[in-house]
Amino acid sequence: MDPIVPINQRVDVVAVYRKRGDIASLCMPYKMRFRGQEVEFTELGLRHPTVAGKRMIHVFDMSDGVNDYRLEFDAEALTWTLVAMIEGDYVRD
Amino acid sequence: MYEINREEPQIIFCDLNSAFAMAEQQARPSLRGRPIGITNRLSRHCCVIAASYEAKSLGIKVGTRLDEALALCPDFVMLESDPPKYHHMYKQLARIMKSYSPNIKMKSIDEGIIDFHGTTEIVNQRPLEEIGFEIKQRMKQEVGGWMKVNIGIAPNRFLAKQAASWHKPDGLDRIDHRNLIEYYRGIELTDLTGIASHYEARLNAAGIFTPIDFLEASSDTLRRIVFRSVVGDDWYQRLRGYEVDDVKTRLGNVGRQWVLKKPSADDNFILPCFQYLCETTGKKLRYQGVDARGILVWAHFRTGESWYVRRMFKTTFFTDTDIYARALYLFNKRPKHMVIQSMGITCYQLTPSARNQISLLDDVNKEEWLTTAIDEINEQYGAFKIFSANALLGTQIVRQKIPFGGTKYFELLLKQA
Repeated sequence: MDPIVPINQRVDVVAVYRKRGDIASLCMPYKMRFRGQEVEFTELGLRHPTVAGKRMIHVFDMSDGVNDYRLEFDAEALTWTLVAMIEGDYVRD
Repeated sequence: MYEINREEPQIIFCDLNSAFAMAEQQARPSLRGRPIGITNRLSRHCCVIAASYEAKSLGIKVGTRLDEALALCPDFVMLESDPPKYHHMYKQLARIMKSYSPNIKMKSIDEGIIDFHGTTEIVNQRPLEEIGFEIKQRMKQEVGGWMKVNIGIAPNRFLAKQAASWHKPDGLDRIDHRNLIEYYRGIELTDLTGIASHYEARLNAAGIFTPIDFLEASSDTLRRIVFRSVVGDDWYQRLRGYEVDDVKTRLGNVGRQWVLKKPSADDNFILPCFQYLCETTGKKLRYQGVDARGILVWAHFRTGESWYVRRMFKTTFFTDTDIYARALYLFNKRPKHMVIQSMGITCYQLTPSARNQISLLDDVNKEEWLTTAIDEINEQYGAFKIFSANALLGTQIVRQKIPFGGTKYFELLLKQA
Protein backbone atom coordinates (compact mmCIF):
# COMPACT_ATOMS: atom_id res chain seq x y z
CA MET A 1 0.00 0.00 0.00
CA ASP A 2 2.48 2.64 1.17
CA PRO A 3 5.98 1.61 0.08
CA ILE A 4 7.82 4.41 1.89
CA VAL A 5 10.18 3.23 4.63
CA PRO A 6 10.99 6.05 7.07
CA ILE A 7 14.70 6.21 7.96
CA ASN A 8 15.54 9.70 9.37
CA GLN A 9 19.26 9.11 9.83
CA ARG A 10 22.22 11.38 9.25
CA VAL A 11 24.39 10.01 6.43
CA ASP A 12 27.75 10.76 4.80
CA VAL A 13 27.26 12.12 1.30
CA VAL A 14 29.58 13.00 -1.57
CA ALA A 15 27.97 15.68 -3.73
CA VAL A 16 28.89 17.08 -7.14
CA TYR A 17 28.66 20.80 -7.88
CA ARG A 18 28.75 21.63 -11.59
CA LYS A 19 30.06 24.84 -13.06
CA ARG A 20 27.24 25.11 -15.53
CA GLY A 21 24.08 23.34 -16.45
CA ASP A 22 20.41 23.64 -15.78
CA ILE A 23 19.16 24.35 -12.27
CA ALA A 24 17.95 20.79 -11.82
CA SER A 25 21.45 19.31 -12.04
CA LEU A 26 23.83 22.05 -10.84
CA CYS A 27 24.21 20.27 -7.52
CA MET A 28 23.46 16.64 -6.82
CA PRO A 29 24.52 13.91 -4.43
CA TYR A 30 26.90 11.45 -6.07
CA LYS A 31 27.02 8.72 -3.43
CA MET A 32 26.31 8.12 0.26
CA ARG A 33 27.31 5.75 3.02
CA PHE A 34 24.33 4.13 4.66
CA ARG A 35 24.45 1.28 7.18
CA GLY A 36 28.07 0.64 6.30
CA GLN A 37 27.45 0.36 2.57
CA GLU A 38 28.19 2.77 -0.22
CA VAL A 39 25.22 3.64 -2.38
CA GLU A 40 26.03 5.22 -5.73
CA PHE A 41 23.27 7.26 -7.27
CA THR A 42 22.41 6.85 -10.93
CA GLU A 43 19.54 9.33 -11.27
CA LEU A 44 18.34 12.54 -9.75
CA GLY A 45 14.55 12.25 -9.69
CA LEU A 46 13.78 15.73 -8.43
CA ARG A 47 15.32 18.46 -6.36
CA HIS A 48 13.08 20.93 -4.62
CA PRO A 49 13.45 23.39 -1.80
CA THR A 50 11.36 23.50 1.33
CA VAL A 51 11.61 25.26 4.68
CA ALA A 52 11.58 24.36 8.34
CA GLY A 53 10.71 27.72 9.88
CA LYS A 54 13.24 30.00 8.19
CA ARG A 55 15.77 27.21 7.58
CA MET A 56 16.22 26.26 3.96
CA ILE A 57 16.11 22.54 3.27
CA HIS A 58 16.99 21.12 -0.15
CA VAL A 59 15.24 17.85 -0.85
CA PHE A 60 16.91 15.47 -3.28
CA ASP A 61 14.94 12.47 -4.50
CA MET A 62 17.61 10.08 -5.74
CA SER A 63 17.70 6.61 -7.23
CA ASP A 64 20.46 4.00 -7.39
CA GLY A 65 18.69 2.20 -10.20
CA VAL A 66 16.75 -0.07 -7.83
CA ASN A 67 15.76 1.85 -4.70
CA ASP A 68 14.59 5.44 -4.35
CA TYR A 69 15.99 7.64 -1.58
CA ARG A 70 14.80 10.94 -0.16
CA LEU A 71 17.80 12.95 1.04
CA GLU A 72 17.52 16.32 2.74
CA PHE A 73 20.29 18.87 2.97
CA ASP A 74 19.87 21.40 5.77
CA ALA A 75 21.48 24.55 4.38
CA GLU A 76 21.89 26.05 7.87
CA ALA A 77 23.18 23.07 9.82
CA LEU A 78 25.02 21.68 6.73
CA THR A 79 23.77 18.17 7.41
CA TRP A 80 22.53 15.42 5.12
CA THR A 81 19.67 13.25 6.33
CA LEU A 82 18.29 10.17 4.66
CA VAL A 83 14.64 10.73 5.40
CA ALA A 84 13.03 7.75 3.68
CA MET A 85 13.45 5.21 0.96
CA ILE A 86 11.38 3.03 -1.33
CA GLU A 87 12.77 -0.40 -1.89
CA GLY A 88 12.50 -1.20 -5.58
CA ASP A 89 11.60 -4.81 -4.85
CA TYR A 90 8.49 -3.74 -2.96
CA VAL A 91 7.14 -2.08 -6.04
CA ARG A 92 8.19 -4.84 -8.37
CA ASP A 93 6.61 -7.74 -6.43
CA MET B 1 -22.77 31.34 -40.56
CA TYR B 2 -21.83 30.89 -36.90
CA GLU B 3 -19.97 34.22 -36.59
CA ILE B 4 -16.86 32.43 -35.31
CA ASN B 5 -13.92 34.54 -34.18
CA ARG B 6 -11.41 34.46 -37.05
CA GLU B 7 -8.55 35.95 -35.07
CA GLU B 8 -5.29 34.00 -35.06
CA PRO B 9 -4.89 32.22 -31.70
CA GLN B 10 -3.01 34.21 -29.06
CA ILE B 11 -3.68 32.08 -25.98
CA ILE B 12 -1.75 29.06 -24.77
CA PHE B 13 -3.20 26.93 -21.99
CA CYS B 14 -0.71 24.73 -20.09
CA ASP B 15 -2.03 21.87 -18.01
CA LEU B 16 0.03 19.43 -15.95
CA ASN B 17 -2.34 16.49 -15.93
CA SER B 18 -2.29 14.18 -12.93
CA ALA B 19 0.17 16.73 -11.60
CA PHE B 20 0.64 15.36 -8.07
CA ALA B 21 1.02 11.77 -9.23
CA MET B 22 3.35 12.82 -12.04
CA ALA B 23 5.49 14.79 -9.56
CA GLU B 24 5.81 11.70 -7.35
CA GLN B 25 6.71 9.52 -10.33
CA GLN B 26 9.28 12.08 -11.42
CA ALA B 27 10.84 12.08 -7.95
CA ARG B 28 10.74 8.29 -7.51
CA PRO B 29 11.76 6.39 -10.62
CA SER B 30 10.63 3.04 -9.13
CA LEU B 31 7.01 4.28 -9.29
CA ARG B 32 7.09 5.27 -12.95
CA GLY B 33 4.69 3.40 -15.17
CA ARG B 34 2.83 2.08 -12.12
CA PRO B 35 -0.67 2.80 -10.84
CA ILE B 36 -0.26 5.23 -7.97
CA GLY B 37 -2.53 7.62 -6.14
CA ILE B 38 -2.05 10.55 -3.80
CA THR B 39 -4.06 11.18 -0.67
CA ASN B 40 -3.89 13.85 1.99
CA ARG B 41 -3.64 11.57 5.02
CA LEU B 42 -3.02 7.89 4.60
CA SER B 43 -5.60 5.78 6.40
CA ARG B 44 -7.76 2.76 5.71
CA HIS B 45 -10.63 4.93 4.50
CA CYS B 46 -8.67 7.61 2.68
CA CYS B 47 -9.48 8.42 -0.93
CA VAL B 48 -7.48 9.36 -4.00
CA ILE B 49 -7.07 13.08 -4.64
CA ALA B 50 -4.85 12.54 -7.70
CA ALA B 51 -4.29 9.36 -9.70
CA SER B 52 -1.55 8.55 -12.18
CA TYR B 53 -2.48 7.83 -15.80
CA GLU B 54 -1.74 4.15 -15.18
CA ALA B 55 -4.23 4.13 -12.30
CA LYS B 56 -6.82 6.05 -14.32
CA SER B 57 -6.64 3.45 -17.06
CA LEU B 58 -7.63 0.83 -14.46
CA GLY B 59 -10.67 2.84 -13.39
CA ILE B 60 -9.10 4.44 -10.32
CA LYS B 61 -9.95 8.12 -10.27
CA VAL B 62 -10.26 11.08 -7.91
CA GLY B 63 -12.51 10.08 -5.02
CA THR B 64 -11.84 6.33 -5.25
CA ARG B 65 -11.28 4.92 -1.77
CA LEU B 66 -8.13 3.01 -0.97
CA ASP B 67 -9.92 -0.32 -0.43
CA GLU B 68 -11.79 0.08 -3.73
CA ALA B 69 -8.52 0.93 -5.51
CA LEU B 70 -6.80 -2.13 -4.06
CA ALA B 71 -9.72 -4.29 -5.17
CA LEU B 72 -9.32 -2.95 -8.71
CA CYS B 73 -5.55 -3.26 -8.66
CA PRO B 74 -3.68 -5.11 -5.88
CA ASP B 75 -0.42 -3.41 -6.97
CA PHE B 76 -1.88 0.04 -6.41
CA VAL B 77 0.44 2.32 -4.43
CA MET B 78 -0.99 5.16 -2.32
CA LEU B 79 1.27 7.98 -1.16
CA GLU B 80 0.70 10.93 1.13
CA SER B 81 0.76 14.33 -0.52
CA ASP B 82 3.97 16.35 -0.38
CA PRO B 83 2.93 20.02 -0.82
CA PRO B 84 6.45 21.53 -1.14
CA LYS B 85 7.09 19.22 -4.10
CA TYR B 86 3.92 20.33 -5.89
CA HIS B 87 4.68 23.94 -5.06
CA HIS B 88 8.06 23.50 -6.74
CA MET B 89 6.35 22.12 -9.87
CA TYR B 90 3.93 25.02 -9.84
CA LYS B 91 6.75 27.55 -9.59
CA GLN B 92 8.73 25.90 -12.36
CA LEU B 93 5.73 25.88 -14.68
CA ALA B 94 4.99 29.54 -13.87
CA ARG B 95 8.65 30.51 -14.42
CA ILE B 96 8.75 28.86 -17.84
CA MET B 97 5.41 30.38 -18.85
CA LYS B 98 6.50 33.84 -17.71
CA SER B 99 9.53 33.71 -19.98
CA TYR B 100 7.21 34.00 -23.00
CA SER B 101 4.83 36.77 -21.96
CA PRO B 102 4.37 39.08 -19.00
CA ASN B 103 0.67 38.33 -19.15
CA ILE B 104 0.28 34.93 -17.54
CA LYS B 105 -2.37 33.76 -15.13
CA MET B 106 -2.09 30.61 -13.05
CA LYS B 107 -5.61 29.21 -12.87
CA SER B 108 -4.77 26.61 -10.25
CA ILE B 109 -1.87 24.62 -8.88
CA ASP B 110 -1.39 22.70 -12.12
CA GLU B 111 -2.60 24.89 -14.94
CA GLY B 112 -2.12 28.35 -16.32
CA ILE B 113 -2.68 30.63 -19.30
CA ILE B 114 -0.19 32.59 -21.39
CA ASP B 115 -1.72 35.52 -23.21
CA PHE B 116 0.41 36.52 -26.20
CA HIS B 117 -1.60 39.60 -27.17
CA GLY B 118 0.82 42.43 -27.82
CA THR B 119 3.92 40.25 -27.73
CA THR B 120 3.87 38.37 -31.01
CA GLU B 121 5.17 41.18 -33.17
CA ILE B 122 8.19 42.03 -31.05
CA VAL B 123 9.08 39.15 -28.75
CA ASN B 124 7.53 35.96 -30.01
CA GLN B 125 7.56 35.86 -33.78
CA ARG B 126 7.35 32.09 -33.89
CA PRO B 127 4.18 30.06 -34.34
CA LEU B 128 2.52 29.23 -31.02
CA GLU B 129 2.79 25.51 -31.81
CA GLU B 130 6.58 25.87 -31.80
CA ILE B 131 6.45 27.66 -28.46
CA GLY B 132 4.13 24.95 -27.14
CA PHE B 133 6.58 22.21 -28.06
CA GLU B 134 9.38 24.24 -26.50
CA ILE B 135 7.45 24.51 -23.20
CA LYS B 136 7.03 20.73 -23.16
CA GLN B 137 10.72 20.28 -23.86
CA ARG B 138 11.77 22.77 -21.20
CA MET B 139 9.63 21.07 -18.55
CA LYS B 140 11.43 17.82 -19.33
CA GLN B 141 14.89 19.42 -19.31
CA GLU B 142 14.49 21.83 -16.42
CA VAL B 143 12.24 19.81 -14.11
CA GLY B 144 12.46 16.18 -15.14
CA GLY B 145 12.12 13.77 -18.03
CA TRP B 146 8.84 12.29 -16.76
CA MET B 147 7.02 15.63 -16.86
CA LYS B 148 4.19 15.88 -19.37
CA VAL B 149 2.31 19.05 -20.19
CA ASN B 150 -0.85 19.33 -22.21
CA ILE B 151 -0.86 22.42 -24.36
CA GLY B 152 -3.93 24.05 -25.86
CA ILE B 153 -3.81 26.92 -28.37
CA ALA B 154 -6.90 28.97 -29.24
CA PRO B 155 -8.24 32.50 -29.64
CA ASN B 156 -9.82 32.55 -26.17
CA ARG B 157 -9.24 31.00 -22.75
CA PHE B 158 -12.19 28.64 -22.92
CA LEU B 159 -11.21 27.06 -26.23
CA ALA B 160 -7.55 26.91 -25.18
CA LYS B 161 -8.56 24.84 -22.14
CA GLN B 162 -10.69 22.64 -24.37
CA ALA B 163 -7.73 22.16 -26.70
CA ALA B 164 -5.48 21.23 -23.78
CA SER B 165 -7.87 18.43 -22.79
CA TRP B 166 -8.36 17.16 -26.34
CA HIS B 167 -5.57 14.58 -26.44
CA LYS B 168 -4.34 13.61 -22.99
CA PRO B 169 -1.66 13.03 -21.85
CA ASP B 170 1.10 15.09 -23.41
CA GLY B 171 -1.08 16.53 -26.17
CA LEU B 172 -0.69 19.73 -28.15
CA ASP B 173 -3.76 20.93 -30.02
CA ARG B 174 -5.00 24.05 -31.64
CA ILE B 175 -8.63 25.05 -31.99
CA ASP B 176 -9.51 27.99 -34.20
CA HIS B 177 -12.10 28.95 -36.81
CA ARG B 178 -10.70 26.30 -39.16
CA ASN B 179 -11.48 23.27 -37.01
CA LEU B 180 -13.94 24.49 -34.37
CA ILE B 181 -17.03 22.89 -35.92
CA GLU B 182 -15.20 19.61 -36.45
CA TYR B 183 -14.07 19.69 -32.83
CA TYR B 184 -17.59 20.32 -31.52
CA ARG B 185 -18.90 17.42 -33.62
CA GLY B 186 -16.62 15.00 -31.79
CA ILE B 187 -17.53 15.84 -28.18
CA GLU B 188 -20.48 15.76 -25.78
CA LEU B 189 -22.06 18.71 -24.00
CA THR B 190 -20.49 17.73 -20.69
CA ASP B 191 -17.03 17.72 -22.31
CA LEU B 192 -17.32 21.51 -22.37
CA THR B 193 -15.62 23.10 -19.36
CA GLY B 194 -18.34 24.59 -17.18
CA ILE B 195 -21.15 22.33 -18.40
CA ALA B 196 -21.96 19.66 -15.85
CA SER B 197 -25.16 17.68 -15.32
CA HIS B 198 -27.17 20.64 -13.99
CA TYR B 199 -26.49 22.91 -16.97
CA GLU B 200 -26.81 19.94 -19.30
CA ALA B 201 -30.36 19.37 -18.04
CA ARG B 202 -31.21 23.02 -18.67
CA LEU B 203 -29.78 22.84 -22.17
CA ASN B 204 -31.64 19.59 -22.89
CA ALA B 205 -34.88 21.19 -21.72
CA ALA B 206 -34.36 23.86 -24.39
CA GLY B 207 -33.79 21.22 -27.08
CA ILE B 208 -30.00 21.50 -27.03
CA PHE B 209 -28.37 18.07 -26.94
CA THR B 210 -24.98 18.51 -28.61
CA PRO B 211 -22.29 21.20 -28.73
CA ILE B 212 -23.38 21.92 -32.31
CA ASP B 213 -26.95 22.54 -31.09
CA PHE B 214 -25.43 24.77 -28.42
CA LEU B 215 -23.50 26.70 -31.07
CA GLU B 216 -26.59 27.07 -33.23
CA ALA B 217 -28.72 28.42 -30.38
CA SER B 218 -29.30 32.14 -30.57
CA SER B 219 -27.95 34.53 -27.98
CA ASP B 220 -31.55 35.35 -27.06
CA THR B 221 -32.42 31.70 -26.45
CA LEU B 222 -29.39 31.19 -24.24
CA ARG B 223 -30.00 34.36 -22.26
CA ARG B 224 -33.79 34.15 -21.85
CA ILE B 225 -34.57 30.45 -21.87
CA VAL B 226 -31.50 28.43 -20.90
CA PHE B 227 -29.43 30.46 -18.45
CA ARG B 228 -31.95 33.22 -17.71
CA SER B 229 -29.17 35.77 -17.26
CA VAL B 230 -26.24 37.38 -19.06
CA VAL B 231 -24.42 34.09 -18.57
CA GLY B 232 -26.23 33.05 -21.76
CA ASP B 233 -24.61 35.91 -23.69
CA ASP B 234 -21.21 34.89 -22.32
CA TRP B 235 -21.70 31.32 -23.52
CA TYR B 236 -22.74 32.59 -26.94
CA GLN B 237 -19.46 34.51 -27.24
CA ARG B 238 -17.31 31.89 -25.53
CA LEU B 239 -18.35 29.07 -27.85
CA ARG B 240 -17.36 31.16 -30.87
CA GLY B 241 -13.88 31.93 -29.61
CA TYR B 242 -14.47 35.44 -28.30
CA GLU B 243 -12.87 36.31 -24.96
CA VAL B 244 -15.24 36.74 -22.04
CA ASP B 245 -13.23 35.12 -19.28
CA ASP B 246 -10.39 37.62 -18.95
CA VAL B 247 -11.85 39.22 -15.85
CA LYS B 248 -10.20 40.16 -12.58
CA THR B 249 -12.10 38.79 -9.62
CA ARG B 250 -12.40 40.69 -6.36
CA LEU B 251 -11.75 38.94 -3.08
CA GLY B 252 -15.26 38.56 -1.65
CA ASN B 253 -14.78 36.40 1.40
CA VAL B 254 -12.20 34.47 3.37
CA GLY B 255 -12.91 31.38 5.40
CA ARG B 256 -12.17 27.86 6.42
CA GLN B 257 -14.22 24.73 6.72
CA TRP B 258 -13.61 21.28 8.14
CA VAL B 259 -15.20 17.87 7.82
CA LEU B 260 -15.04 15.94 11.07
CA LYS B 261 -13.62 12.46 10.82
CA LYS B 262 -15.85 11.41 13.71
CA PRO B 263 -19.05 13.50 13.90
CA SER B 264 -19.49 14.97 17.36
CA ALA B 265 -21.68 17.24 19.51
CA ASP B 266 -19.14 17.49 22.33
CA ASP B 267 -18.08 21.09 23.00
CA ASN B 268 -14.77 19.93 24.47
CA PHE B 269 -13.91 18.54 21.05
CA ILE B 270 -15.76 20.96 18.77
CA LEU B 271 -14.69 24.30 20.25
CA PRO B 272 -10.90 23.87 20.10
CA CYS B 273 -11.26 22.85 16.46
CA PHE B 274 -13.58 25.78 15.81
CA GLN B 275 -11.05 28.15 17.38
CA TYR B 276 -8.34 26.69 15.16
CA LEU B 277 -10.54 27.35 12.11
CA CYS B 278 -10.97 30.96 13.31
CA GLU B 279 -7.21 31.38 13.70
CA THR B 280 -6.45 30.04 10.23
CA THR B 281 -9.13 32.37 8.85
CA GLY B 282 -7.43 35.27 10.66
CA LYS B 283 -4.10 34.35 9.09
CA LYS B 284 -5.69 34.32 5.65
CA LEU B 285 -7.27 37.74 6.26
CA ARG B 286 -3.97 39.27 7.30
CA TYR B 287 -2.13 37.54 4.46
CA GLN B 288 -4.54 39.20 2.02
CA GLY B 289 -4.14 42.55 3.79
CA VAL B 290 -7.85 42.97 4.43
CA ASP B 291 -10.17 43.52 7.38
CA ALA B 292 -13.67 42.05 7.62
CA ARG B 293 -16.97 43.31 8.97
CA GLY B 294 -19.21 40.29 8.54
CA ILE B 295 -19.03 36.72 9.82
CA LEU B 296 -20.99 33.67 8.77
CA VAL B 297 -20.72 30.42 10.69
CA TRP B 298 -22.36 27.21 9.61
CA ALA B 299 -22.63 23.54 10.40
CA HIS B 300 -23.94 20.46 8.66
CA PHE B 301 -25.31 17.81 10.98
CA ARG B 302 -25.20 14.06 10.80
CA THR B 303 -28.94 14.04 10.23
CA GLY B 304 -28.41 15.81 6.92
CA GLU B 305 -29.78 19.12 8.21
CA SER B 306 -27.86 22.38 7.97
CA TRP B 307 -27.64 25.48 10.11
CA TYR B 308 -26.04 28.87 9.62
CA VAL B 309 -26.10 32.34 11.06
CA ARG B 310 -24.50 35.51 9.77
CA ARG B 311 -24.01 38.97 11.16
CA MET B 312 -22.50 42.30 10.19
CA PHE B 313 -20.62 44.18 12.91
CA LYS B 314 -20.19 47.92 13.32
CA THR B 315 -16.39 47.83 13.25
CA THR B 316 -13.90 45.92 11.17
CA PHE B 317 -11.73 43.19 12.68
CA PHE B 318 -8.72 41.08 11.74
CA THR B 319 -7.14 39.68 14.93
CA ASP B 320 -7.62 36.04 15.89
CA THR B 321 -9.18 36.96 19.23
CA ASP B 322 -11.68 39.34 17.59
CA ILE B 323 -12.68 36.77 14.99
CA TYR B 324 -13.05 34.01 17.56
CA ALA B 325 -15.05 36.15 19.99
CA ARG B 326 -17.51 37.19 17.28
CA ALA B 327 -17.69 33.76 15.67
CA LEU B 328 -18.17 31.97 18.99
CA TYR B 329 -21.04 34.30 19.88
CA LEU B 330 -22.76 33.20 16.67
CA PHE B 331 -21.68 29.55 16.88
CA ASN B 332 -23.21 29.19 20.36
CA LYS B 333 -26.63 29.80 18.82
CA ARG B 334 -26.52 26.46 17.03
CA PRO B 335 -28.76 23.60 18.16
CA LYS B 336 -26.29 22.07 20.59
CA HIS B 337 -27.83 18.63 20.77
CA MET B 338 -27.17 18.05 17.05
CA VAL B 339 -24.12 16.01 16.03
CA ILE B 340 -21.88 18.05 13.73
CA GLN B 341 -20.55 16.47 10.52
CA SER B 342 -18.84 19.55 9.09
CA MET B 343 -18.54 23.19 10.06
CA GLY B 344 -17.01 26.38 8.84
CA ILE B 345 -16.53 30.10 9.20
CA THR B 346 -16.53 32.77 6.51
CA CYS B 347 -15.56 36.43 6.91
CA TYR B 348 -17.09 38.81 4.37
CA GLN B 349 -17.53 42.51 3.61
CA LEU B 350 -13.79 42.83 3.23
CA THR B 351 -12.01 46.17 3.05
CA PRO B 352 -8.34 47.01 2.58
CA SER B 353 -6.63 46.95 5.93
CA ALA B 354 -6.33 50.18 7.91
CA ARG B 355 -3.73 48.70 10.19
CA ASN B 356 -1.10 51.33 9.48
CA GLN B 357 -3.29 53.87 11.21
CA ILE B 358 -2.42 54.08 14.91
CA SER B 359 -5.56 54.09 17.01
CA LEU B 360 -6.34 56.62 19.72
CA LEU B 361 -7.27 53.68 21.92
CA ASP B 362 -4.21 52.07 23.43
CA ASP B 363 -5.89 48.68 23.88
CA VAL B 364 -6.60 48.48 20.16
CA ASN B 365 -2.96 49.24 19.36
CA LYS B 366 -1.70 46.66 21.82
CA GLU B 367 -3.88 43.96 20.35
CA GLU B 368 -2.73 44.81 16.85
CA TRP B 369 0.94 44.80 17.85
CA LEU B 370 0.51 41.51 19.65
CA THR B 371 -1.05 39.94 16.55
CA THR B 372 1.75 41.28 14.36
CA ALA B 373 4.39 39.96 16.78
CA ILE B 374 2.80 36.50 16.85
CA ASP B 375 2.59 36.43 13.06
CA GLU B 376 6.26 37.38 12.80
CA ILE B 377 7.34 34.67 15.24
CA ASN B 378 5.27 32.08 13.38
CA GLU B 379 6.77 33.30 10.12
CA GLN B 380 10.25 32.87 11.54
CA TYR B 381 9.85 29.50 13.22
CA GLY B 382 7.01 27.86 11.30
CA ALA B 383 3.23 28.10 11.35
CA PHE B 384 1.40 27.59 14.63
CA LYS B 385 4.41 27.78 16.90
CA ILE B 386 2.41 30.29 18.96
CA PHE B 387 -1.35 30.01 19.13
CA SER B 388 -4.20 30.16 21.63
CA ALA B 389 -3.98 27.42 24.24
CA ASN B 390 -7.64 26.62 23.61
CA ALA B 391 -6.86 25.77 20.00
CA LEU B 392 -4.25 23.15 20.94
CA LEU B 393 -6.49 20.19 20.21
CA GLY B 394 -7.54 21.79 16.92
CA THR B 395 -3.94 22.14 15.73
CA GLN B 396 -3.45 18.43 16.33
CA ILE B 397 -6.65 17.26 14.68
CA VAL B 398 -7.49 19.64 11.84
CA ARG B 399 -4.96 19.25 9.06
CA GLN B 400 -4.22 21.72 6.31
CA LYS B 401 -4.85 20.38 2.84
CA ILE B 402 -3.53 21.68 -0.41
CA PRO B 403 -6.33 22.90 -2.63
CA PHE B 404 -6.59 22.22 -6.34
CA GLY B 405 -8.42 25.46 -6.97
CA GLY B 406 -7.15 29.02 -6.62
CA THR B 407 -3.56 29.69 -5.72
CA LYS B 408 -4.05 32.91 -3.80
CA TYR B 409 -3.17 31.29 -0.45
CA PHE B 410 -0.65 28.83 -1.73
CA GLU B 411 2.42 30.25 0.02
CA LEU B 412 0.52 30.61 3.28
CA LEU B 413 -1.06 27.16 3.18
CA LEU B 414 2.27 25.59 2.39
CA LYS B 415 3.65 26.80 5.70
CA GLN B 416 0.70 25.31 7.55
CA ALA B 417 0.62 22.00 5.69
